[in-house]
Amino acid sequence: MLLDMHSSASASENNETRKPQKQYCEHHAECLKKIQAVLDGEASEAEKEHFRVNMDDCLHCIKMYHLEKCVKESLQAKVDKRLCPDNLVQAIKAKLNITA
Amino acid sequence: MSVIMSEEIEEIPLASSETSYNDTEKNDIFNREFMPHINSMYNFAFRLTMDEDDANDLVQDTYLKAFRFISSFERGTNAKAWLFRILKNSFINDYRKRSKEPSKVDYQEVETTYNSEEAAEVDHTTDLRVETVQDMIGDEVATALNSLPVDFRTVIILCDIEGFTYEEMAKILDIPIGTVRSRLHRARNLLKDKLKVYASSMGYDTDED
Repeated sequence: MLLDMHSSASASENNETRKPQKQYCEHHAECLKKIQAVLDGEASEAEKEHFRVNMDDCLHCIKMYHLEKCVKESLQAKVDKRLCPDNLVQAIKAKLNITA
Repeated sequence: MSVIMSEEIEEIPLASSETSYNDTEKNDIFNREFMPHINSMYNFAFRLTMDEDDANDLVQDTYLKAFRFISSFERGTNAKAWLFRILKNSFINDYRKRSKEPSKVDYQEVETTYNSEEAAEVDHTTDLRVETVQDMIGDEVATALNSLPVDFRTVIILCDIEGFTYEEMAKILDIPIGTVRSRLHRARNLLKDKLKVYASSMGYDTDED
């Protein structure tokens, strides 16, 4: 559901025996670190496995995942990226006698 | 672990071996490998100094240093990370002390407040809503980002805006990867707190569902 790798997570699970979703995660501080590593593309295999196994059962973690993803995407897409002024580029090249 | 505040730090990344380039090769490296990153470098400089004049000076100083020490750069390696490291070190050595940042915080103080074991293990939750962040405009997100202490702001800029890997960030900041991860984690918690406070002050609905 949350990530591509997630689709294979529950393939062998029996829906009838699946636990209800938790409203609160007692490990949320650690889970948040794993979620951030997953979103950064830096998660270890163990962290990916934890994500696959536990995420669907924990509403708290699912909410954290969506908030982290949203904040990260907002930073990437919304924060204005300042461009280097042309006169600064020219000034640097002039000081170094760099030709184009 | 703390960033050195009172001593000069080595600005140019050490190379395993130096390469002697002729003038044509130097020009070629400068134009093909250094200049393509100048907009990212300027944006980083502006986000660090939060001042256009200081950003201009910092970028110019960084490129002049990069050219002067070009023999330390190995052609075809990660020029962007190399340049970012020089810029970050120049900022610490030359600009940080006179930064116009309104609420400058000594890094050691930040470490004490946010990096202690107690703080690291404290449960951190925020009732900031996804919809609230989605409704914010770029300037509002930037204001929250700019209000973070510079070392926390830096890791978020490098990771979320510039897209550096943890390994690249470790090299740029000269800290272990584990410290990159923990500093990023704490920076993001701080940022969410700032976004929450800002959202509340602006009348956004921040109550939990």
